[in-house]
Amino acid sequence: MAQSSRDVFEVQVDGLGCPFCAYGLEKKFKEFKGIKKITIDIETGDFRFEYPADQALTAEQVVKQVEKAGYTPKTWTITRADGQVETSEAMLASASSKGSEKGELTVRGVCGMCKARIEKATLSITGVSEANWDVESNQLTFGYDPSKASSDAVRDAILAAGHDVENKKATDEAYDALPPCCLYRTKSKH
Amino acid sequence: MKKFSSILLLGLVALISSCGTEEKEWSYQETVHLGEVRPIGLALTDEGFWISDGDNNRLVQTDRNGKVARYIDSLERPMHLDVAEGVVYVPQYGNDRIGVFAADILQQTQGPGNLDAPAGVSVAGNTMAVADFYNNQVHYKNEQGQWSTFGKKGSEPGEFLYPTDVQITEEGIWVADAYNHRAQLIDFEGQSLAVIGEEQDLNAATGIWVTETEVFLTDFENDRVWIFNKQGEVLQLLDDEVEKPTDMISEGESLWVANFRKGELLKYALTPVQKK
Repeated sequence: MAQSSRDVFEVQVDGLGCPFCAYGLEKKFKEFKGIKKITIDIETGDFRFEYPADQALTAEQVVKQVEKAGYTPKTWTITRADGQVETSEAMLASASSKGSEKGELTVRGVCGMCKARIEKATLSITGVSEANWDVESNQLTFGYDPSKASSDAVRDAILAAGHDVENKKATDEAYDALPPCCLYRTKSKH
Repeated sequence: MKKFSSILLLGLVALISSCGTEEKEWSYQETVHLGEVRPIGLALTDEGFWISDGDNNRLVQTDRNGKVARYIDSLERPMHLDVAEGVVYVPQYGNDRIGVFAADILQQTQGPGNLDAPAGVSVAGNTMAVADFYNNQVHYKNEQGQWSTFGKKGSEPGEFLYPTDVQITEEGIWVADAYNHRAQLIDFEGQSLAVIGEEQDLNAATGIWVTETEVFLTDFENDRVWIFNKQGEVLQLLDDEVEKPTDMISEGESLWVANFRKGELLKYALTPVQKK
Protein backbone atom coordinates (compact mmCIF):
# COMPACT_ATOMS: atom_id res chain seq x y z
CA MET A 1 0.00 0.00 0.00
CA ALA A 2 1.33 3.44 -0.89
CA GLN A 3 2.34 5.55 2.05
CA SER A 4 0.17 8.59 2.68
CA SER A 5 1.74 11.99 2.12
CA ARG A 6 -0.51 13.65 4.66
CA ASP A 7 -0.57 13.92 8.41
CA VAL A 8 -3.95 13.57 10.08
CA PHE A 9 -4.78 15.95 12.93
CA GLU A 10 -7.63 15.31 15.36
CA VAL A 11 -8.33 17.98 17.94
CA GLN A 12 -11.10 18.07 20.47
CA VAL A 13 -12.22 21.66 20.97
CA ASP A 14 -14.16 22.37 24.10
CA GLY A 15 -17.55 23.99 24.13
CA LEU A 16 -18.31 24.56 20.45
CA GLY A 17 -21.93 25.62 20.62
CA CYS A 18 -23.19 26.93 17.33
CA PRO A 19 -22.49 26.55 13.61
CA PHE A 20 -21.19 30.11 13.36
CA CYS A 21 -18.43 29.36 15.87
CA ALA A 22 -17.66 25.95 14.43
CA TYR A 23 -17.43 27.13 10.86
CA GLY A 24 -15.44 30.14 12.07
CA LEU A 25 -12.84 27.82 13.57
CA GLU A 26 -12.65 25.97 10.28
CA LYS A 27 -12.23 29.27 8.45
CA LYS A 28 -9.28 30.26 10.63
CA PHE A 29 -7.54 27.01 9.74
CA LYS A 30 -7.83 27.75 6.05
CA GLU A 31 -4.93 30.12 6.69
CA PHE A 32 -2.86 26.92 6.64
CA LYS A 33 -2.32 26.56 2.92
CA GLY A 34 -2.68 22.99 1.78
CA ILE A 35 -5.13 21.96 4.48
CA LYS A 36 -7.58 19.31 3.27
CA LYS A 37 -10.52 17.21 4.40
CA ILE A 38 -11.63 19.44 7.25
CA THR A 39 -14.48 18.02 9.29
CA ILE A 40 -15.97 19.38 12.46
CA ASP A 41 -18.61 17.94 14.72
CA ILE A 42 -20.41 20.68 16.60
CA GLU A 43 -21.89 18.30 19.15
CA THR A 44 -18.68 16.57 20.17
CA GLY A 45 -16.19 19.33 19.32
CA ASP A 46 -14.19 16.85 17.22
CA PHE A 47 -12.16 18.75 14.65
CA ARG A 48 -10.19 16.80 12.04
CA PHE A 49 -8.08 17.76 9.07
CA GLU A 50 -5.21 16.57 6.90
CA TYR A 51 -2.06 18.48 6.13
CA PRO A 52 0.94 17.83 3.85
CA ALA A 53 3.49 15.79 5.78
CA ASP A 54 6.41 17.67 4.27
CA GLN A 55 5.21 20.82 6.02
CA ALA A 56 5.80 19.15 9.42
CA LEU A 57 3.01 21.03 11.13
CA THR A 58 3.46 20.73 14.88
CA ALA A 59 0.96 20.24 17.66
CA GLU A 60 2.07 23.55 19.12
CA GLN A 61 1.20 25.36 15.90
CA VAL A 62 -2.21 23.73 15.82
CA VAL A 63 -2.95 24.51 19.45
CA LYS A 64 -1.82 28.11 18.90
CA GLN A 65 -4.10 28.49 15.88
CA VAL A 66 -7.10 27.12 17.79
CA GLU A 67 -6.39 29.55 20.60
CA LYS A 68 -5.83 32.40 18.16
CA ALA A 69 -9.33 31.76 16.85
CA GLY A 70 -10.59 32.15 20.41
CA TYR A 71 -11.28 28.51 21.14
CA THR A 72 -9.90 26.06 23.65
CA PRO A 73 -8.23 22.83 22.54
CA LYS A 74 -8.79 20.01 24.97
CA THR A 75 -6.92 17.05 23.53
CA TRP A 76 -5.22 16.24 20.27
CA THR A 77 -3.88 13.33 18.29
CA ILE A 78 -1.58 13.52 15.28
CA THR A 79 -1.18 10.51 13.03
CA ARG A 80 1.88 11.20 10.91
CA ALA A 81 2.12 9.98 7.34
CA ASP A 82 4.81 7.49 8.37
CA GLY A 83 2.47 5.93 10.94
CA GLN A 84 3.85 7.57 14.06
CA VAL A 85 1.20 8.78 16.47
CA GLU A 86 1.54 11.76 18.80
CA THR A 87 -1.07 12.44 21.48
CA SER A 88 -1.68 14.99 24.19
CA GLU A 89 -2.77 14.38 27.68
CA ALA A 90 -6.12 15.91 28.60
CA MET A 91 -5.28 19.54 29.13
CA LEU A 92 -8.13 20.02 31.54
CA ALA A 93 -7.84 16.72 33.35
CA SER A 94 -7.84 16.91 37.08
CA ALA A 95 -4.44 16.68 38.67
CA SER A 96 -3.68 13.70 40.80
CA SER A 97 -3.08 15.77 43.88
CA LYS A 98 -5.49 18.37 45.17
CA GLY A 99 -4.50 21.83 46.26
CA SER A 100 -4.52 22.55 49.95
CA GLU A 101 -6.33 25.88 49.58
CA LYS A 102 -9.60 26.70 47.93
CA GLY A 103 -10.07 29.90 46.00
CA GLU A 104 -13.19 31.58 44.63
CA LEU A 105 -13.61 34.35 42.11
CA THR A 106 -16.53 35.84 40.21
CA VAL A 107 -15.67 35.62 36.52
CA ARG A 108 -17.93 36.93 33.78
CA GLY A 109 -18.84 34.66 30.90
CA VAL A 110 -21.85 33.16 29.19
CA CYS A 111 -21.32 29.75 27.66
CA GLY A 112 -19.50 26.45 27.48
CA MET A 113 -16.69 27.94 25.47
CA CYS A 114 -16.20 30.56 28.20
CA LYS A 115 -16.07 27.77 30.76
CA ALA A 116 -13.36 25.92 28.86
CA ARG A 117 -11.28 29.07 28.44
CA ILE A 118 -11.64 30.23 32.06
CA GLU A 119 -10.78 26.84 33.49
CA LYS A 120 -7.83 26.44 31.14
CA ALA A 121 -6.48 29.87 32.10
CA THR A 122 -6.84 28.94 35.77
CA LEU A 123 -5.07 25.63 35.33
CA SER A 124 -2.26 27.30 33.41
CA ILE A 125 -0.96 28.71 36.70
CA THR A 126 1.65 26.46 38.27
CA GLY A 127 0.33 25.15 41.56
CA VAL A 128 -3.33 25.19 40.60
CA SER A 129 -4.67 21.67 40.54
CA GLU A 130 -8.38 21.95 39.89
CA ALA A 131 -10.80 24.49 38.52
CA ASN A 132 -14.53 24.68 38.01
CA TRP A 133 -16.48 27.63 36.65
CA ASP A 134 -20.28 27.66 36.77
CA VAL A 135 -22.00 29.36 33.85
CA GLU A 136 -25.14 30.23 35.82
CA SER A 137 -23.54 31.76 38.89
CA ASN A 138 -20.34 32.94 37.17
CA GLN A 139 -18.45 31.54 40.16
CA LEU A 140 -15.01 30.03 39.71
CA THR A 141 -13.73 27.68 42.39
CA PHE A 142 -10.20 26.36 42.28
CA GLY A 143 -7.76 24.42 44.39
CA TYR A 144 -4.17 25.58 44.68
CA ASP A 145 -0.94 25.24 46.55
CA PRO A 146 -0.36 28.65 48.18
CA SER A 147 3.41 28.13 48.13
CA LYS A 148 3.32 28.06 44.32
CA ALA A 149 0.22 29.94 43.22
CA SER A 150 -1.95 32.83 44.29
CA SER A 151 -5.44 34.10 43.68
CA ASP A 152 -3.96 37.21 42.06
CA ALA A 153 -2.06 35.11 39.53
CA VAL A 154 -5.25 33.25 38.66
CA ARG A 155 -7.12 36.50 38.29
CA ASP A 156 -4.47 37.96 35.97
CA ALA A 157 -4.44 34.85 33.78
CA ILE A 158 -8.21 35.01 33.36
CA LEU A 159 -8.13 38.73 32.60
CA ALA A 160 -5.52 38.05 29.92
CA ALA A 161 -7.89 35.45 28.45
CA GLY A 162 -10.53 38.15 28.01
CA HIS A 163 -12.82 37.65 31.00
CA ASP A 164 -13.67 40.25 33.62
CA VAL A 165 -12.83 39.12 37.17
CA GLU A 166 -14.54 40.59 40.22
CA ASN A 167 -14.34 44.35 39.67
CA LYS A 168 -11.44 44.24 37.22
CA LYS A 169 -12.09 44.39 33.49
CA ALA A 170 -10.18 42.58 30.81
CA THR A 171 -8.61 44.84 28.22
CA ASP A 172 -10.73 45.66 25.18
CA GLU A 173 -8.12 43.92 23.04
CA ALA A 174 -8.44 40.67 25.00
CA TYR A 175 -12.22 40.92 25.11
CA ASP A 176 -12.54 41.63 21.38
CA ALA A 177 -10.52 38.50 20.61
CA LEU A 178 -13.24 36.30 22.10
CA PRO A 179 -15.49 34.38 19.68
CA PRO A 180 -18.98 35.83 19.07
CA CYS A 181 -20.70 33.37 21.39
CA CYS A 182 -18.58 34.52 24.33
CA LEU A 183 -19.22 38.26 24.18
CA TYR A 184 -20.65 38.44 27.66
CA ARG A 185 -20.71 42.24 27.94
CA THR A 186 -23.42 42.59 25.30
CA LYS A 187 -25.27 39.52 26.51
CA SER A 188 -25.57 40.62 30.09
CA LYS A 189 -26.12 44.34 29.75
CA HIS A 190 -29.91 44.08 29.96
CA MET B 1 -37.90 36.27 -2.26
CA LYS B 2 -38.13 37.58 1.23
CA LYS B 3 -40.05 40.71 0.34
CA PHE B 4 -43.68 40.80 1.39
CA SER B 5 -46.05 38.78 -0.71
CA SER B 6 -49.78 38.70 -1.16
CA ILE B 7 -49.76 35.23 0.42
CA LEU B 8 -48.33 36.64 3.61
CA LEU B 9 -50.82 39.44 3.60
CA LEU B 10 -53.62 36.90 3.40
CA GLY B 11 -52.17 35.14 6.39
CA LEU B 12 -52.16 38.33 8.36
CA VAL B 13 -55.73 39.06 7.48
CA ALA B 14 -56.55 35.61 8.77
CA LEU B 15 -54.58 36.35 11.92
CA ILE B 16 -56.55 39.44 12.67
CA SER B 17 -60.07 38.69 11.56
CA SER B 18 -60.82 35.50 9.74
CA CYS B 19 -64.00 35.17 11.80
CA GLY B 20 -64.82 38.77 12.42
CA THR B 21 -62.66 39.63 15.41
CA GLU B 22 -61.40 36.16 16.24
CA GLU B 23 -57.86 36.30 17.57
CA LYS B 24 -55.36 33.77 16.35
CA GLU B 25 -51.96 32.63 17.49
CA TRP B 26 -49.25 30.34 16.20
CA SER B 27 -49.44 26.81 17.57
CA TYR B 28 -47.24 23.78 16.98
CA GLN B 29 -48.61 21.25 14.49
CA GLU B 30 -45.98 18.74 13.42
CA THR B 31 -42.32 17.97 12.95
CA VAL B 32 -40.80 17.27 9.55
CA HIS B 33 -37.66 15.16 9.95
CA LEU B 34 -34.83 15.94 7.56
CA GLY B 35 -32.48 13.08 8.36
CA GLU B 36 -28.84 14.07 8.01
CA VAL B 37 -29.66 17.62 6.94
CA ARG B 38 -28.68 20.36 9.38
CA PRO B 39 -30.83 23.29 8.27
CA ILE B 40 -29.54 26.82 8.64
CA GLY B 41 -31.42 28.88 6.05
CA LEU B 42 -34.87 28.38 4.55
CA ALA B 43 -36.51 29.65 1.38
CA LEU B 44 -39.86 28.65 -0.03
CA THR B 45 -41.06 28.23 -3.61
CA ASP B 46 -44.06 26.58 -5.23
CA GLU B 47 -42.12 23.30 -5.29
CA GLY B 48 -41.22 23.39 -1.62
CA PHE B 49 -38.17 24.33 0.41
CA TRP B 50 -34.63 25.25 -0.41
CA ILE B 51 -32.56 24.51 2.66
CA SER B 52 -28.93 25.37 3.26
CA ASP B 53 -27.29 22.38 4.93
CA GLY B 54 -24.26 23.97 6.53
CA ASP B 55 -22.74 20.87 8.07
CA ASN B 56 -22.83 19.00 4.77
CA ASN B 57 -21.81 21.86 2.48
CA ARG B 58 -24.85 21.58 0.24
CA LEU B 59 -28.25 22.90 -0.72
CA VAL B 60 -31.22 20.63 -0.35
CA GLN B 61 -34.50 20.98 -2.18
CA THR B 62 -37.48 19.26 -0.57
CA ASP B 63 -41.23 19.23 -0.90
CA ARG B 64 -43.35 20.58 1.93
CA ASN B 65 -43.20 17.20 3.67
CA GLY B 66 -39.43 17.16 3.74
CA LYS B 67 -39.01 14.63 0.96
CA VAL B 68 -35.74 15.39 -0.76
CA ALA B 69 -35.96 16.24 -4.45
CA ARG B 70 -32.26 16.93 -4.94
CA TYR B 71 -28.97 17.99 -3.43
CA ILE B 72 -26.65 20.66 -4.78
CA ASP B 73 -23.13 19.95 -3.54
CA SER B 74 -19.83 21.82 -3.71
CA LEU B 75 -20.82 24.73 -1.54
CA GLU B 76 -18.75 25.88 1.42
CA ARG B 77 -20.84 26.33 4.55
CA PRO B 78 -24.01 27.73 2.95
CA MET B 79 -26.01 29.96 5.28
CA HIS B 80 -29.20 32.09 5.15
CA LEU B 81 -30.26 31.92 1.52
CA ASP B 82 -32.95 33.54 -0.60
CA VAL B 83 -34.87 32.69 -3.75
CA ALA B 84 -36.10 35.23 -6.30
CA GLU B 85 -37.65 34.49 -9.67
CA GLY B 86 -36.41 30.93 -9.66
CA VAL B 87 -32.82 31.82 -8.77
CA VAL B 88 -31.32 30.64 -5.48
CA TYR B 89 -28.82 32.99 -3.83
CA VAL B 90 -26.56 31.36 -1.25
CA PRO B 91 -24.04 33.15 0.95
CA GLN B 92 -21.12 30.87 1.74
CA TYR B 93 -19.43 31.40 5.04
CA GLY B 94 -16.50 29.19 4.08
CA ASN B 95 -15.32 30.79 0.85
CA ASP B 96 -16.67 34.35 1.09
CA ARG B 97 -18.71 33.97 -2.10
CA ILE B 98 -22.36 34.29 -3.01
CA GLY B 99 -23.49 31.20 -4.86
CA VAL B 100 -26.10 31.70 -7.57
CA PHE B 101 -27.99 28.59 -8.60
CA ALA B 102 -30.16 28.82 -11.71
CA ALA B 103 -31.07 26.50 -14.55
CA ASP B 104 -29.21 23.66 -12.84
CA ILE B 105 -25.93 25.59 -12.82
CA LEU B 106 -24.16 26.82 -9.71
CA GLN B 107 -22.02 29.89 -10.20
CA GLN B 108 -19.80 31.52 -7.61
CA THR B 109 -19.91 35.31 -7.51
CA GLN B 110 -17.61 37.66 -5.67
CA GLY B 111 -20.33 39.81 -4.12
CA PRO B 112 -19.48 43.13 -2.55
CA GLY B 113 -16.08 44.13 -1.22
CA ASN B 114 -14.01 41.73 0.79
CA LEU B 115 -16.60 39.59 2.49
CA ASP B 116 -15.51 37.67 5.55
CA ALA B 117 -18.02 34.90 6.20
CA PRO B 118 -21.23 36.11 4.55
CA ALA B 119 -24.04 34.65 6.60
CA GLY B 120 -27.24 35.97 5.06
CA VAL B 121 -28.56 37.32 1.78
CA SER B 122 -31.83 38.90 0.69
CA VAL B 123 -32.90 39.74 -2.84
CA ALA B 124 -35.78 42.02 -3.89
CA GLY B 125 -36.03 42.99 -7.53
CA ASN B 126 -32.59 44.17 -8.57
CA THR B 127 -31.57 44.94 -5.01
CA MET B 128 -29.58 42.70 -2.68
CA ALA B 129 -28.46 42.83 0.94
CA VAL B 130 -25.69 40.73 2.50
CA ALA B 131 -24.90 40.16 6.18
CA ASP B 132 -21.10 40.15 6.50
CA PHE B 133 -20.42 38.26 9.74
CA TYR B 134 -16.78 38.87 10.65
CA ASN B 135 -16.69 42.37 9.15
CA ASN B 136 -19.72 43.34 11.27
CA GLN B 137 -21.31 45.05 8.29
CA VAL B 138 -24.30 44.95 5.98
CA HIS B 139 -23.87 45.52 2.25
CA TYR B 140 -26.68 46.77 0.04
CA LYS B 141 -26.93 46.88 -3.74
CA ASN B 142 -29.46 49.41 -4.98
CA GLU B 143 -31.61 49.32 -8.12
CA GLN B 144 -28.76 50.88 -10.08
CA GLY B 145 -26.42 48.07 -9.08
CA GLN B 146 -24.27 50.23 -6.77
CA TRP B 147 -23.08 48.68 -3.53
CA SER B 148 -23.05 50.53 -0.20
CA THR B 149 -21.62 49.27 3.07
CA PHE B 150 -23.24 50.00 6.41
CA GLY B 151 -22.18 49.69 10.03
CA LYS B 152 -19.16 48.68 12.05
CA LYS B 153 -18.48 46.50 15.05
CA GLY B 154 -20.36 47.76 18.07
CA SER B 155 -23.60 47.86 19.95
CA GLU B 156 -24.93 51.33 19.23
CA PRO B 157 -27.79 51.82 16.76
CA GLY B 158 -26.43 51.39 13.26
CA GLU B 159 -23.63 49.13 14.51
CA PHE B 160 -23.57 45.36 14.42
CA LEU B 161 -22.05 42.47 16.30
CA TYR B 162 -21.74 39.53 13.93
CA PRO B 163 -24.88 39.92 11.78
CA THR B 164 -26.18 36.60 10.51
CA ASP B 165 -29.30 37.29 8.45
CA VAL B 166 -30.96 40.10 6.50
CA GLN B 167 -34.26 40.79 4.83
CA ILE B 168 -35.14 43.62 2.49
CA THR B 169 -38.61 45.09 3.02
CA GLU B 170 -40.29 48.26 1.82
CA GLU B 171 -39.33 50.08 5.02
CA GLY B 172 -35.65 49.13 4.92
CA ILE B 173 -33.29 46.27 5.68
CA TRP B 174 -33.99 44.10 8.70
CA VAL B 175 -30.89 42.59 10.25
CA ALA B 176 -30.47 39.68 12.64
CA ASP B 177 -27.84 41.43 14.77
CA ALA B 178 -26.90 38.09 16.26
CA TYR B 179 -24.51 38.81 19.09
CA ASN B 180 -26.11 42.09 20.04
CA HIS B 181 -29.03 39.73 20.60
CA ARG B 182 -31.50 41.90 18.74
CA ALA B 183 -33.11 42.76 15.42
CA GLN B 184 -32.30 46.02 13.80
CA LEU B 185 -34.01 47.92 10.96
CA ILE B 186 -31.83 50.24 8.91
CA ASP B 187 -32.86 52.40 6.00
CA PHE B 188 -31.28 52.08 2.58
CA GLU B 189 -28.56 54.52 3.58
CA GLY B 190 -27.62 52.63 6.72
CA GLN B 191 -29.37 54.77 9.32
CA SER B 192 -30.88 52.81 12.18
CA LEU B 193 -34.67 53.11 12.26
CA ALA B 194 -35.55 50.58 14.94
CA VAL B 195 -34.00 48.16 17.39
CA ILE B 196 -36.10 45.25 18.59
CA GLY B 197 -35.63 42.54 21.18
CA GLU B 198 -33.05 44.10 23.47
CA GLU B 199 -35.26 43.64 26.51
CA GLN B 200 -36.03 39.97 25.91
CA ASP B 201 -32.70 38.52 27.04
CA LEU B 202 -32.12 36.63 23.80
CA ASN B 203 -28.96 34.65 23.35
CA ALA B 204 -27.88 34.87 19.72
CA ALA B 205 -30.51 36.25 17.36
CA THR B 206 -29.32 34.16 14.45
CA GLY B 207 -32.25 34.32 12.02
CA ILE B 208 -34.93 36.82 11.04
CA TRP B 209 -38.17 36.66 9.07
CA VAL B 210 -40.36 39.72 8.56
CA THR B 211 -43.95 39.94 7.33
CA GLU B 212 -46.26 42.92 6.83
CA THR B 213 -46.77 43.36 10.57
CA GLU B 214 -44.55 40.85 12.36
CA VAL B 215 -40.88 40.30 13.04
CA PHE B 216 -39.83 36.72 13.82
CA LEU B 217 -36.47 36.34 15.53
CA THR B 218 -34.67 33.15 16.53
CA ASP B 219 -33.25 32.92 20.04
CA PHE B 220 -30.71 30.20 19.27
CA GLU B 221 -29.23 29.27 22.62
CA ASN B 222 -32.53 29.59 24.49
CA ASP B 223 -34.44 27.34 22.06
CA ARG B 224 -37.12 29.93 21.31
CA VAL B 225 -38.62 32.03 18.54
CA TRP B 226 -39.85 35.51 19.39
CA ILE B 227 -42.59 37.26 17.44
CA PHE B 228 -42.74 41.05 17.66
CA ASN B 229 -44.79 43.71 15.98
CA LYS B 230 -42.92 46.43 14.12
CA GLN B 231 -42.98 48.60 17.24
CA GLY B 232 -41.01 45.96 19.10
CA GLU B 233 -43.82 44.70 21.31
CA VAL B 234 -43.86 40.98 21.92
CA LEU B 235 -46.80 39.25 20.26
CA GLN B 236 -45.89 35.66 21.03
CA LEU B 237 -43.08 33.39 22.14
CA LEU B 238 -42.73 29.99 20.49
CA ASP B 239 -40.89 27.23 22.30
CA ASP B 240 -42.85 24.02 21.65
CA GLU B 241 -40.31 21.57 20.18
CA VAL B 242 -37.96 24.42 19.25
CA GLU B 243 -34.31 23.42 19.63
CA LYS B 244 -31.42 25.54 18.38
CA PRO B 245 -33.50 27.38 15.78
CA THR B 246 -31.69 29.08 12.93
CA ASP B 247 -34.40 30.38 10.60
CA MET B 248 -38.13 30.66 9.95
CA ILE B 249 -40.41 31.26 7.00
CA SER B 250 -44.17 31.66 6.75
CA GLU B 251 -46.75 31.15 4.04
CA GLY B 252 -50.36 32.07 4.68
CA GLU B 253 -51.35 30.50 7.98
CA SER B 254 -48.32 28.22 8.14
CA LEU B 255 -44.95 28.90 9.71
CA TRP B 256 -41.88 26.68 9.54
CA VAL B 257 -39.00 26.83 11.97
CA ALA B 258 -35.60 25.26 11.18
CA ASN B 259 -34.36 23.19 14.12
CA PHE B 260 -30.65 23.09 13.39
CA ARG B 261 -29.45 20.59 15.95
CA LYS B 262 -32.09 17.93 15.39
CA GLY B 263 -32.35 18.29 11.62
CA GLU B 264 -36.02 19.19 11.61
CA LEU B 265 -38.55 21.63 10.32
CA LEU B 266 -41.31 22.47 12.77
CA LYS B 267 -44.66 23.40 11.34
CA TYR B 268 -46.76 25.92 13.23
CA ALA B 269 -50.21 27.14 12.18
CA LEU B 270 -52.47 30.01 13.07
CA THR B 271 -55.21 28.73 15.31
CA PRO B 272 -57.86 30.44 17.43
CA VAL B 273 -56.50 31.66 20.74
CA GLN B 274 -57.38 29.22 23.49
CA LYS B 275 -59.51 30.87 26.14
CA LYS B 276 -58.16 30.34 29.62
